[in-house]
Amino acid sequence: MSDVYLTKLASQRIGYLSTRQSLIAGNVANVNTPSFRAQDLKPFAATLQETALTMSATNPAHLTPAAQGLDAPRIVEGDAADATVSGNSVDIESEMVKLGETSRDYSEATGIQKAFHQMFTQALK
Amino acid sequence: MATNDYLRASLHIAGSGLATQSTRLRIISENIANAQSTATVAGGDPYTRQTIAFENAIDRASGFNLVKVRQIGLDSTPFHVEQDPGSPAADAQGFVKTPNVDVLTELADLREANRSYEANLQVAKQASDLMNQTVALLKDL
Repeated sequence: MSDVYLTKLASQRIGYLSTRQSLIAGNVANVNTPSFRAQDLKPFAATLQETALTMSATNPAHLTPAAQGLDAPRIVEGDAADATVSGNSVDIESEMVKLGETSRDYSEATGIQKAFHQMFTQALK
Repeated sequence: MATNDYLRASLHIAGSGLATQSTRLRIISENIANAQSTATVAGGDPYTRQTIAFENAIDRASGFNLVKVRQIGLDSTPFHVEQDPGSPAADAQGFVKTPNVDVLTELADLREANRSYEANLQVAKQASDLMNQTVALLKDL
């Protein structure tokens, strides 16, 4: 784990949240489009669980698992079960809730970045 | 792709949503405005209700889900017929064809368009908010 692991994590979270924001925008824009399936990302924590721990290769012959970067968050499509007659599965209320979540988490991530930055500058003074 | 590109894309997507919903509002207002427009010639067809359909437009370069108007069509339901011999649009029997517009349906549609428009606006506002927050990180360097 490098010294700046947490700042990297925070910026990956910002990347994740902005991707999510664009997916929510797509869902909201297509709220009246027939047979459109709502899209979302896998939760950040779940993706992190899968990627955080990787085995170290102590021998050149060791195979390393393909790196699953957080940089390319996976998109999951909504269920066909909650689609309306037109085949559209966007629920505007839950999209608005997700929008609020994104905003809050984004503030948190930028706040963390800011806090780390203050720590660095304090150490330098 | 960088963070800012996604936020910019959000603005772009929300913009496409706003554009389609406002086209929809235009169609609805045309329908309501012409709810009583009969033909100008005796026995002729009155104003026909317009319909609007949306379509998911995927931006090829980025894969973002934009939205666009697929088609503005004409409602094929039959016209209402009224007995009004004095009207200039009345046929020989005194029947006047009136538009197939149901104001109540239009108003319900108006509400929906309004709600969708507001939702898109909210997304656009938030995208620019997030961009500002990112820029604010540079402020106290």
